[in-house]
This record gives sequence, structure tokens and C-alpha cells, in this order.
Amino acid sequence: MKTTSTWALRAVVLFYLGVLIGLPVTFLVVKALGHGFGPFWSEVTQPNALSALKLSLEVAAIAVPINAVVGVGAALLIARHKFVGKRVLDTLFDVPIAISPIIIGIALVLAYSKIGWFGAPLTRYGIKVLFSPLGIILATMSVSLPYVLRSILPVLTEVGEDQEQAARTLGAGRFRIFWNVTLPSIRWAVLYGVTLTIARTLGEFGAVLVVSGNITGVTQTLPIYIFDSWDQRFDVLGSYSGALVLALISIGVLAILAALKRREKNLLVDFA
Amino acid sequence: MPTDSLVRPTPSTLHSSPTQSGWRRVGSRLSLPFLMGGGGALIVGYLSIIVLLPIAALISHGLSIAVSTHGSGWAFWHWHVSFGFRAFWTAVSAPGSRSSIWLSLWLSFSVAAINAVMGVAIAWVLVRDRFFGRGFIDSVIDLPFALPTIVAGVVLLAIYGPSSPIHVDLFETWMGLMLALLFVTLPFSVRAVQPVLASLDLESEAAARTLGAGGLRTFFSIVMPSLWPSVLSGFGLAFARAVGEFGSISLIAGGIGRTTTASYYIFNLTAGFLWVDAAAVSTALLAISLVVLVTTNVVSRRFQKRLL
Amino acid sequence: MSISLSHLTKHYAKTHAVQDVSAEIKHGSLTAILGPSGSGKSTLLKLISGLERPDEGTVTIDGEDMTHVDPRHRDIGFCFQHYAPFRHMNVAKNVAFGLKVRKRPKKEIDERVGDLLSLVKLEGKAKSYPSQLSGGERQRMALARALAIEPRVLLLDEPFGALDAVVRAELRHWLKELHGQLHVTTVLVTHDQQEAMEVADQLIVMRAGRVVQSGNPLALYESPATDFVHEFLGPSTVFEGEVTRPHDLELVSVHLGQVKGRITSIVSLGFEAQVTVELSDGTSTWVQLSRNELSAMGLRVALLVGVRRREDVDG
Repeated sequence: MKTTSTWALRAVVLFYLGVLIGLPVTFLVVKALGHGFGPFWSEVTQPNALSALKLSLEVAAIAVPINAVVGVGAALLIARHKFVGKRVLDTLFDVPIAISPIIIGIALVLAYSKIGWFGAPLTRYGIKVLFSPLGIILATMSVSLPYVLRSILPVLTEVGEDQEQAARTLGAGRFRIFWNVTLPSIRWAVLYGVTLTIARTLGEFGAVLVVSGNITGVTQTLPIYIFDSWDQRFDVLGSYSGALVLALISIGVLAILAALKRREKNLLVDFA
Repeated sequence: MPTDSLVRPTPSTLHSSPTQSGWRRVGSRLSLPFLMGGGGALIVGYLSIIVLLPIAALISHGLSIAVSTHGSGWAFWHWHVSFGFRAFWTAVSAPGSRSSIWLSLWLSFSVAAINAVMGVAIAWVLVRDRFFGRGFIDSVIDLPFALPTIVAGVVLLAIYGPSSPIHVDLFETWMGLMLALLFVTLPFSVRAVQPVLASLDLESEAAARTLGAGGLRTFFSIVMPSLWPSVLSGFGLAFARAVGEFGSISLIAGGIGRTTTASYYIFNLTAGFLWVDAAAVSTALLAISLVVLVTTNVVSRRFQKRLL
Repeated sequence: MSISLSHLTKHYAKTHAVQDVSAEIKHGSLTAILGPSGSGKSTLLKLISGLERPDEGTVTIDGEDMTHVDPRHRDIGFCFQHYAPFRHMNVAKNVAFGLKVRKRPKKEIDERVGDLLSLVKLEGKAKSYPSQLSGGERQRMALARALAIEPRVLLLDEPFGALDAVVRAELRHWLKELHGQLHVTTVLVTHDQQEAMEVADQLIVMRAGRVVQSGNPLALYESPATDFVHEFLGPSTVFEGEVTRPHDLELVSVHLGQVKGRITSIVSLGFEAQVTVELSDGTSTWVQLSRNELSAMGLRVALLVGVRRREDVDG
């Protein structure tokens, strides 16, 4: 029944979303491409911009697989085993989401930089954390930690052990069970988690800002570059252009997530 | 419903999903490709490096914790642990610190509250209503989550800043901060409520209708009692997120002044290499966020169970 | 309060849930709408209640056209298959809900709730929560809740479907008694023909969205209009090309029967026995015998027998 209250609610919601999300996205496109595609492209292909993009991608290439493996491993532990401190392990993964990225950055500095706890032993081995790509990688791994775990865990729990046990009675070994039975049952969830991790990794700003020291060309990831363009150099177009690139990546990510959601829905219906 | 909890991985509230009750927890012998001992140790080691040790270092520096031994021997009863409370308090109660913490708290509270209401409205439209483009809107809700915070900052400044095309200048205003925070916390509020709303028993609402209750009455008497734990949980998440938010407000906040939030204040301390002070204020902020998050989590989980 | 349904039609997507249904429900009666799942009976009930609106046709309650009236204003009580309890309210508050909505004074509400709880035999459970009640108790609570507003019509959607057999039988009996006491026009939807036969004084049989036959239960049982009704309302078998009741057939010595066959199985159910016979023309039929008949005839599998209708002997 489409009553007036239905339409009123729709109007309120659409207005709110329009102002909050629709408007900003539209204007970003307008601002970035307002002067034509040419200037946008030259901004995007500037050496500093490109090296920022490169660094972002490199960091992602390291952080994402590690967090994916850790996420899958931890999910298996939590879903399939009983042990002391299980709850603690589970909660630990939530910490990065609940904390400000700035604070994460500071925490890393106070643990691993020259002035930190492990500063002395690390510098002796020439491992530099502050103002270096290594620090950025650590920071990025920290903030993007939970996404894979949180995506997989509910599915792993819901699917249950029956299939794995059946495989065991049929003689399959541990690895085969994992590879042929467990992993396929959670594959869409894994993809979902990995996609979110990638988005987070590419977009991380606060923690990296603290740890990296913002050295152009060396420790600037793309988000830092965007910030720097605006804040330090008032290079507005450079900022918008970089922002549009990241926004497009995010929208791409969203589209993938939406498609995966639909797949997962179909898959789960089988288990019902 | 697992699918909906997939929609957004939010902290442990996922585990209160009703589907879990039917599944038996087995401490089984069914093993992993790597030994549980070995793999588990690796994971714990990794978490220590990435999360535990840094946080410990932060708190230790923030509270100026010093551990020394006195007397002979290394046994722990010879240890002496001291807190540098004075240093901590000085950093935290500095005027800049106090005003920024206060600003963060009331801003985050307001934003979490507004989005708690809007979150329910949006979730309602997404779950109960059917219209063209509903799936699109559903995906769009995740945009603030997938979008880098700095991009959000740039974009919000573009519309609501000095060169605003609609002539709305919110640069260095609380309103500007609020818009940024509303944007960033929206997905948390919606996704906390959405799956619970979707799993509600429609028969109860139909029963209320036959007994004479109108739309609003049914909503407050029948729907909300089942829904409020998840709304509260969403509130806690949104609050924690808002308190910690940096990227999206870093530009619209302008310089130090009335619009300096706690995160920005702390960042400025690090820019000036005042690490210990930064650690102190961070620890204070952490404590507040933790209290709010744990409280809302515990309360919401307790009442969520009772209704099932 | 009589109900008059006229040419009701309702479809969902491509299927017609209810197709051109017309029926009269007498004031004070206990009518059962009976049919297999998917026959549209629940939809029909929802149309009567107003929880669904028809695409065509009218619903008239007590002479007033209620087709487009909101369920809130139809003065009906509705009970759901899964009870739809208000989980966060205790039993007393559940039952009181309709009265609270109508803003009755507290004293009146308390009194009425007390009376109703006695009526449904839940006196001691006023402060309990639905989760603490058994299925049967929850349904009784739901009934009390629906009756609290003194509805003109009571609608029950497969009310005992989720309960086990013993409880179901008890509640059936109890419902019939309650109806005898209160005389509220009651419409009950069920797929259980035994339930319908036991409880109702008027039957409406539905199939694939249409009414196949309606009337007095016994009349329908004895004179079913179609094979479907025959089969749905009671045990059926085919004999001499007709759909027949197994207890209308009997077995005789192979020389006496015109139709001959061989026994293929004997199932003894204690109070009765079902004997399956493969006939000379290749078809199979089964006959219902009493315990005494079975033991008297000394039947066994593979025996040749004659099959005939019982009436033939008297006629």
C-alpha cells in the first residue's frame, strides 16, 4: 500500500542521501573534469602523482595478501576450535576499526621508531620505520586488519563442519580438505573481504600521515599526495584529479561488492 | 542473517546473529593445513606486532609508565611500576586538549544520534519499500565506507567551502565538521540496523494492526522494542568512528581554532614532535571511546538475546 | 455477524491466489475453509481481515461493505499460525494491547484481562513472557488477545498447525467448546480435514484459488461434488470406475463377489484394517474392515476374494 507516509519517508531519505552523498560525488566529477579531460590527465600523470600512486599500489600489494592469509587463518581458528583466549583474539581484530588512525600511527611510532621501545635494536639493524615505506606498510596493515576476518567468519560459522567431516571420512587429508572443501565454500566472502581490504589500503590517510612524515616522492601515498596538493601547494586541480581517481576506484570497488553480495545471497540460499 | 552481516563487517556485533544459535560449537580435531599451534602462534605474533605492542607502547608512553627493579634479582616482586600521572594530566588538561576533546565528544554524540534516527529511516526504506533503484541506493550507502577519507574531505570542501558553487561556506564551522562526520558514519548506522529489521517477524505487526494499532503506534510499540539494541550498537560504532575521524575533517577544519577536534589536535602535537603529549591525549581518547563502545556493545547484546 | 464474499479475486505476480470466490458465512457459525497448501485459503482469510486488499470483488460484514476498510476498523480478531506474540510484553500486556489502543480505563483493562485469562485457562501465567510458554499456551494467549477487543468476527489462520498431534486435538476440542460459549462468528483456515470435520458447522473447500464446494461437513462427506472433494475429505479408493469410500466396500468369498481379485497386502491399524486387493482387471483398490471382520474372515496375503459394495447386500 503506497500511502502518503510511504512517499514522505522516501522523500526524506532520498533528500538526506542526496545532500550527503549525491551532491559531493557529482561536484567532484564537475570540479575534476571541469577544465576538460586534458588538464585532468596531465595532473594525474605528473611524476609526483604517479610515484604516489605507485607507492600506494606497492603497499597494497604487500598488505592485502598478508591480511588475507591472516584473516583466513584466524577465522578457521575461531570458527573451528576451542581455546583459551578465543574471545580475546576475536576482539583484538576489532581494535583497528575502533581507533582513530592518527592514534594508530602514533602507537606505531612509539613502538618501532628511533624513540620507541624497539628503536634501539631496530636502528642497529638499519631498519627505519619512521619516514619510510616500511612504516607505511605497517600502518596500512594495521588499519586494514579485520576486513577479511569479519567477512569470512559468519559464513564459516553458518556453513558448519559437516562437509569437512564428510571429506575426512572419505579419506581426504588436511590440506585437501581446506583447499577443496573449506575454501570454496567461503570464496565469495573471501573476495568480499579482500576487496574491502584493498579499498581501505589504498585510502588510508591518517595513520600513514603520522608515520610517513610526508616526504614528497619518497613517502607519499596517493591520499597523502591529494592532501599535500591542497594543503601545502594549493594545487586545487591536482587535488581534485587525484581525488577523482581514488573515487573512481572506490566506486569500482562498490560495484564489485554489490555483485559479490548478490552471488553470496544465492550461495547461502543453497544451505537454507 | 549472514548475508546481511556480510554487507558490512562491523565489530563483534556480528556474533549475536540469530543463525548462530542453531550451530554447534565444536572443539574438533579437524585441523588446518598448518598445525594449530604453529599457525596460531604466527597469527598471535603478527597481531602483537601490528596491534598489541604499538597500543601497549602508546599507553605506556602516554601514562609515562616506568618499570624498574629494586633490590636483588629479576623476580617480579622486585619490580616497581610507576605512573607519571602528573605528566599525563598536564597534557590532557591543557586548554587546547580540553576544548578539542570536548568538541569531539559532543560532535560525535550528536552525529551518532542523528544517524541513529536516519539510519532506521533509511534501513526501513531499503527493507520494507520497493521502488526502482532501491538496489542502487543500497550500494551507495557503502560509499562513505569505501571512499578514502581524504577524498571525502576534498569533496566536502569543494561544495561547502569558500568556493562553494551553491554559496554555502562551512569552512571552519561546526556545521562543516558535522556534515563530514555524518557522511563518514552513515554506513555504520544503517548496516547495524538493516539486517535486524529484515529478520523481524511481520506477523506481530499484522497482529497489532488487527488489534487497532496505527502505523506509528505499531512502530513504537512493536518494532522499536525489537530494534533498539541494534540501533544502540550502531550508535556506539558511529560514535567511536566519529571520535577518531581525521581525513575528512582535516581540510574543512582549517587551522587551529574553534574547529579543532581531538584527532586534529593530537596530529598537531605529532607535527611538533611532542610525542609523549600526543600519547597522553590519545590514551585519554582511547579510554573514552572504549568505555562508550563496550557499554553499547554489552547492553545491546544482552537485550538482543532476550528477545530471541 | 454474517460475512458475505462476492467474486473476490487476488493475484500475486503471475499467479491467481484467489479466483472469483463467493461465499456466505452465517452469523454465529464456525466455518472452516479447507484446502491443500496453495489453494488460496490463507489469502482468502487475509482478504476478509483486510490485511490484504482484493483486486476485484467485495467483502461485506454485517451488511456493511468493508472491502477497502483498514483492518484496524473492521472489528475482527485474528490469530496467526505462529501466534505472533509480542515478545517483549508479558502475557497480561499482550492480552491488554488492543484495549490499551482503544484507551480503555486501567481498571476495566485489568478486569477484562483477568476474565479472559480465566477463560483460556492461563490465570497463573499473567506475568510470564511468551518465550516461557508452550506452543499451546501461546496460541491460547493469542486467542485471548484477539477476543479482548470483543470482535464481531474471529479469524484463525491454521492456528494449530505448529502444534503436535495431542495438543492439536485438545485445542480443537477446546475451541469448539469456546465457540459454543461465546457464539462469535468464527472462520478457521486449515488443511487438516479431520480438524475441519470435527470443529466446523460449515465447510468451504478450496482448490487452486476457487471454491469447489461448501456446506454442512457431513453433507460434503457423503455427497462430494467432485473426486477432489471426495479424496480430500476422507479416505478414498477407486472401485468400478468410481471414487468410493473404502469402508463402503466389503470382502466376500470369491464365489459370491462379481468382482474378483487377489489380496496384495494387509495393514492392521489396531481398530481397523486396510486390505489392498489387486483386481482381475489389473487395477488396485483397498477395503477398510473392522478388527472383528478381519479376524472372522481369516484373510491372508495372496488369497483370492470377491469385492462388493456393502449397500448391495441391503438393497
